[in-house]
This record gives sequence, structure tokens and C-alpha cells, in this order.
Amino acid sequence: MVERSGNGQSRRGFLKAGLAGGAALAGSLAAGRVLAADDPAITQIQDWNRYSGDGVDAHPYGMPSPFEKDAVRRNVAWLTADPVSSVNFTPLHKLDGIITPNGLCFERHHGGAAVVDPAKHRLMINGLVEKPLVFTMDDLRRFPRVNKIYFLECAANSGMEWRGSQLNGCQFTHGMVHCVMYTGVLLKDILAEAGVKPAGKWVLAEGADSAAMTRSIPMEKALDDCMVAFAMNGEALRVEQGYPVRLVVPGFEGNMWVKWLRRLEVGDEPWEQREETSKYTDLLANGKARHFTWAMDVKSVITNPSPQAPITHGKGRLVLTGLAWSGNGTVARVDISTDGGRNWKPARIDGPSLPMALHRFYYEMDWDGSEMFLQSRAMDEKGFVQPTKQQLRAVRGANSIYHNNGIQTWYVDTNGAAENVEIS
Amino acid sequence: MSRFPEIALAAALAALCLSGPAYAGDPAAGEQVFKRCKACHAVGDGAKHRVGPELNELIGRTAGTAEGYRYSSAMEKAGAGGLAWNAETLAKFLDDPKGMVKGTKMSFAGLKKPADIDNVIAYVATFSKPSEAMDAAPKPEDKKTEAAPTEPKEESARAEPVKPAVAAAPAGEGGGLNYHLGRTATAGEIAAWDIDVRPDGVGLPDGSGTVAQGEKLFDAQCSSCHGDFGEAVGRWPVLAGGQGTLKDDRPVKTVGSYWPYLSTVYDYIRRAMPFGNARSLSDDDVYALTAYVLYLNDIVTEEDFELSKANFGTIEMPNAQNFIADDRAEEPQYLANKNNPCMTDCIAGVAKITMHAEVLDVTPDVQDGDDKKPSAGIE
Ligand code: HEC
Ligand code: HEC
Repeated sequence: MVERSGNGQSRRGFLKAGLAGGAALAGSLAAGRVLAADDPAITQIQDWNRYSGDGVDAHPYGMPSPFEKDAVRRNVAWLTADPVSSVNFTPLHKLDGIITPNGLCFERHHGGAAVVDPAKHRLMINGLVEKPLVFTMDDLRRFPRVNKIYFLECAANSGMEWRGSQLNGCQFTHGMVHCVMYTGVLLKDILAEAGVKPAGKWVLAEGADSAAMTRSIPMEKALDDCMVAFAMNGEALRVEQGYPVRLVVPGFEGNMWVKWLRRLEVGDEPWEQREETSKYTDLLANGKARHFTWAMDVKSVITNPSPQAPITHGKGRLVLTGLAWSGNGTVARVDISTDGGRNWKPARIDGPSLPMALHRFYYEMDWDGSEMFLQSRAMDEKGFVQPTKQQLRAVRGANSIYHNNGIQTWYVDTNGAAENVEIS
Repeated sequence: MSRFPEIALAAALAALCLSGPAYAGDPAAGEQVFKRCKACHAVGDGAKHRVGPELNELIGRTAGTAEGYRYSSAMEKAGAGGLAWNAETLAKFLDDPKGMVKGTKMSFAGLKKPADIDNVIAYVATFSKPSEAMDAAPKPEDKKTEAAPTEPKEESARAEPVKPAVAAAPAGEGGGLNYHLGRTATAGEIAAWDIDVRPDGVGLPDGSGTVAQGEKLFDAQCSSCHGDFGEAVGRWPVLAGGQGTLKDDRPVKTVGSYWPYLSTVYDYIRRAMPFGNARSLSDDDVYALTAYVLYLNDIVTEEDFELSKANFGTIEMPNAQNFIADDRAEEPQYLANKNNPCMTDCIAGVAKITMHAEVLDVTPDVQDGDDKKPSAGIE
């Protein structure tokens, strides 16, 4: 059971705030209507139309328009004891396409964001190798480079929603995911440089932060597509994303993508670190817990409309959009339901469809102004279909926390406001 | 700080600038050092009490007197006995908190480098009123340590090749097998970083520690977050109890109830605890703390129990047998409709809302300590 906060008033306040601006606009600017008076946005000369703007170099590193100040990461203070070991969320409802801007990629640290001096950063490789080696950042740049677009999702994304709807906004329910282009070198090239001994079956990756984050990676994955990356979206990694270098483990849970990567150890057994025993194991109703649940399941969410992004233009033409992804490869299809999963229609995937990357979908429709129960459901290239939350709870119980890929329902009322609900 | 008249502030600031840095330390470097305090202390605009008191207006403040914070009686007594914070008293306190204020509940071993101490004091002082800060400043001649050298800022746009701190070995010599990149790691370097411990005991260092020794360390360095008995203060992690609850509606996952391997306890405490002061414990300390965590979980019961490299492998964790392989791909919800999603009349009847979002006003200005905590947090 979920305890209700019983705070009906703040709920109404929230919905109203979301709608106020939009309702007025919809009234005066609805398509096809003739206005009573000329639109001052046209008839009056605007400041930006008269006065010169800033010259070059006003902002040596460019920032978004001041009108986009709500497109920011947000945290939820009560989730954790301390912001140093905590998480914030990507504002999915403010984004489009498949690439997440670097400054909006969600953060999850276990000992704060380490600010590492690249001149003093070393990557060591030791253990079951012919030659234990130490690389500087310069050394790493002398390996052949690759560019790859991958999503990174925290295994706990949507974890707060296991027992039922809790947080009102896709930023909070689904915002522990981002997708960028990484530049770096293949882990297998680095391993080959040291020479993995035949007994080497696992790689321990370790960070240089104050959590000295560690995860055991199976050798098969390490030799397949893992990367040691130093750039994202064309620029150096951000501090919060592991500057100067991080591990990229495509399709696997975000915790394995060790940031501030300083050491790779080859061994014949896994290390059973805290983050693969105490955490990131999935407790089932029978008291057993799944261990080494690495791959991220097929998943999707409608980002617009959603509770933080209500419909403000009234009935008529509506573009519904969202994101889909799967750790198993590409997303083969996304379907949309407006009646809570009774009937489905295919959405249109637009933009690149890359394995283990976010996919952008659109569903264009005429909204008649009636209530909707919006859902999206993805299927990946291996044929896995996104399940409902009820199905997941029936199989795994209410305390699995991680790997919640259940279908999300947004209830849209006749005003266009959206709310996170569960339905029968 | 708004209490301070603006003109006076400007004058004081000007005086401060004219007379050069009032502190031996460098506030910018101190901001870095302060990261080690951040787990427990806040400073600056809107700073609130956390595990420790907020540190605004610290210079000149009598010890143990920040309003609304519950100090140890030791700290209150020290204040009543006349201890006030200035550069000198702070330097002594931060060098050895428990040595200076016996019985303080600040679980912090102290800063080892004198320069770190000077720098962090200079940083914290920037959040105190300048006049008092200046009175409290040590005169240059009683500087006992050199200020950290400040690096000249490079303005040149042309990139100069940066000399690596350690010269890279020339290609071919000690480099890797294919591209001859990198250099051979030394035994000392590997020993410095390779501290991981595996369930089969590989990686355990020599050493030992008893439950009784662990209790002392725990009370001093861990209990401020994890509670006297591992029951946790506030939302910090619970370390003990919960055995037999894993099938409950609200399972309590702890070292005793959940963790499959003891090696993980040793490994994790050694690499990451105490939070905000990692890698400060000796190998023997970690044995003692591991023994004490076992004791808090009733896995060992004698206070004179000694955990060592030799007997480490004899301890069986209660929940060791309950971890299974990932079989998500075989779950019925996936097998039922693989490659074949239902498109029409998939569920009978019309949709009815069974549950609304519990927390509807999630906004960035939700206050800390707001008690609208939902049923599940982040792990
Ligand atoms: C593990 C938590 C923790 C860490 C880390 C920590 N402190 Fe504290 N600090 C405390 C607690 C708790 C108290 C209250 C002590 C008492 O009541 O005995 C305290 C008290 C203090 C006081 C006395 C304040 C007063 O109002 O009298 C100062 C000064 C102080 N800490 C500075 C620092 C600085 C500087 C650092 C970092 C170098 C630091 N502390 C690191 C927990 C911590
Ligand atoms: C300032 C608060 C603080 C202090 C002091 C502290 N810890 Fe922790 N401890 C934490 C936090 C926060 C975590 C979780 C970190 C994360 O999210 O990765 C943690 C995690 C742990 C865990 C793992 C818990 C789990 O269930 O996964 C153990 C074991 C632990 N601490 C032991 C200790 C010991 C032993 C000490 C004393 C030497 C200590 N801690 C001191 C804050 C603290």
C-alpha cells in the first residue's frame, strides 16, 4: 500500500499553475479564429527588434535562452540523506530528438562529483594480465578512437514507482536516463595492450572518486562493445559524468558505467562489491534476490503531454511525443493507447534508430477534448514487449526497486492537465 | 550577513584587500578541502544544520552555540569554558578534533596536512563578518606553515604542451603489447590502489581487530550517521537488524539480513567509509569495524571476538544462499506476447483510476526535512 500525503490543496495548485498561462493563450490564439484586435506581438516593435543584442564573446561558453530556465535538472530532496550521495533527474519533458544536452544529463554520485585534474589522472590495468600498465590521458588518446551514441539508464529509474504512482512528472518518474554521443577508445584495445591471461574472466572497474566506485564486468561484455570514453557530444566529459574519463557499458545499468575511471583489474571471479550485492540486486516476493541483473529492459514513456507539460492549446491538432529504448538493441516499434491500454495504434519513430540508444517517437492526432489515459508501449528488436506495472508486480513483488520498465499511464483531463496514475 | 551595514562592510572589505590576505591559507584551495566537511556541514547562503552545525559566522562564535543545533555536552562545556572559534583554535580543533574537545561527536579524524587546515579556515572565514575575521586572523609572523603556492593564471590562447607529472616511458620501453602505449605499473602503485577483497579472501590484508575495538571506532567515527547500534540516524543507511524481513511488505535490507558476503563489508568500509573521509582507516581498524558490524547483527556474539585474515573465511552470512541468477528473459509477461503485442480490445471494460501520484507538488523548492516522504526512496 502507498501512504497518501492527503495534500489535495497543493495538488490543485500544481495543476492550476501548469494551466494558467496556457488557457489564456488557447482562448485568444486558437487556430483559424479571427482576433478581435491585432496581435501586439506583431504590431508593436519589440526590444529585440530595435536594440542590438550582445556582441560575440558576451558568453564564451554559450548558455540556453533565459526563457528556457525551467529546462533544468531537479532533485527530490527527501529521497536520500544527503546530496553528496544522491540523484537528480533529466528534464525529459523539455527535450526533443534523441540527444541529451550535456548539462541536462541526470547525475547520480555516491560520494559527490569528483573534480579530477587530468594531468594527475592515471588509468591502471592490473591483475591477470601479461603486463600491468599505467596510462596517462595523453596515452589514452593515442589508441584508435570510436564515436557511439548510447543511452545510459540508472537501474533505479522509475524505482520509486514500483508500488504505485508517486511522482508527478516524467522528469521524476523516468528522468534517470540520458543519451549522448561518446568519443573514446574500445575497452578491448586497452585490455589487449596489457594482454589478458586466459584465466581472466572478469574486469573490475574502479573510480577515482571518494566512493572509489567499483563494479565487476563480465569479460564477454568487456571485449564486446565497452568503451573508455573521454568526450560526450563532442566536448570533454562533464565533471558530473566522470571527467576526464568514464567507462561506457552499452545497454547495461548505469551504475556499471564507472565514472572517473582509474583502474581496471582482470580476475577469474567477480568481486561481489557493495554495488552488486547490497545494491543493484532485485529482491523478489519470495525473499530471493536476483543478482547481476545488468541489461536494461525495453521501456518507453510519453514525455509530452505529461504532468509537467500539460496540453495548453485546447482541442484539435495534438503532437504526442516520447522516448523508447532497450538494452537489447534497437526499438522495433512503439504503440500508443489513449484509452488505458484497451486499444493501440503504432507511433512513428523519427530520427536515427541505433542499438542501445534512445528512440524518439511521435503520434499525431486530433484531440476532441475528452479525457484520455495515455500510454506508450515499446517492443525491441528481440521481440520483448514492455509489460504493465501490474504484470511486473505479479511476477516480482513490490520490493524489486530496480529495473521497473512498466508502462506509464498519464491521465489527461478535459482541460489538458496530466497526472501520473495507475488504472485498472 | 545582512545585519551588517553595507557601508561598513564595504569599508571593511576595502581594508581587507589593502592589508592583503588576512589568513595564512588560500580560500579557493580551502573550498576544495571543505568538500571533506560537506558531508556534515553546510556554509554559505541558506546553510542549515546537518550532521554538524552550519558554519556561517563561525569566526568569533563561542563553541557549541549555533542556534537550533544539538551539540554534545562536551562541545557545550568547551564553549561555556570560554572556547571561541578563531584561526588558532580552529587549527587546533581541525588537527585533532577529539584530542582538543574530548567527547565531541564530530566523527572526523582531523586534517593531516597543515596547509589544508589553513586553507579550509581561510575558506570558512569568508562566510564570517570581515571585521571579526580580521581580528581573529593570526599575524603573519605566527604563520606556522607556508601558504599553498598559487599558480599563475595562463592567459595565452596558444596551447602549450603540458608536461605530465610523471614522464611517460618512451615507446617500446615498458609500454603495452600492441601500440606500445603506457608504461609498466610498479608494485608500489598496484599496492596503493588494488585494495579490493573477494569472497574467497583474495585481497585481504594481514591484520586483525576485535569487537570491542570496533565499538570504540564505530562510536567515534560511524554512529553520527549510522546510529549507536547501526539503526541509522534519519535517512542514512541502516547497518543492522532486519533479519527475517525479506519477504515482508517492508523488508529491511542490512549487512545482517541481506548481504551475501563478509568480504564486501571489509572491502566497502576500507574503500568508502567513513563517508567524506574515505581511506583514513588502518587495515586493523577495518577488521575491528567489520567485527563490530557482525556483532551489531548478532552474527558474532562475544565482545572479545577477534576477526583476522586467518578466520575471515569461517564466517557465514545468514542470507548467503538467497541470491539467484538473472532470469528476467523467462518471465511470463515477456514470454506471453513476445514479438506479438496485442493491438485491439486488450483489456475488458473501461479504464478506472486506482491510484493517483502521491506527491503532486514535486518542485525544486521542496524543503529539506519536508515530511512528505513517499513510501520508497532511492537506494
Ligand atoms: C562526519 C561528520 C563531520 C565531518 C566530516 C566534519 N564535521 Fe565538524 N562537526 C560535526 C559534528 C557532529 C559537530 C558537533 C560536535 C559536537 O557537538 O560535539 C561538529 C562541529 C564542528 C565545529 C564546531 C562548531 C560549533 O558551532 O561549535 C567546527 C568548527 C567544525 N565542526 C568544523 C569542521 C570542518 C572545518 C570540517 C572539515 C575539515 C568538519 N568539521 C568535518 C561533524 C562533522
Ligand atoms: C557522514 C555520514 C556517515 C558516516 C560518518 C559513516 N557513514 Fe557509512 N554510509 C554513509 C552513506 C551516505 C552511505 C551510502 C553511500 C552511498 O550511497 O553509496 C554509507 C554506507 C555504509 C555501508 C553500506 C550500507 C549498505 O547497506 O549498503 C556501510 C557498511 C557503512 N556505511 C559503514 C560505515 C562505517 C563502518 C563507518 C565508520 C568508520 C561509517 N559508515 C561512517 C554515511 C556515513
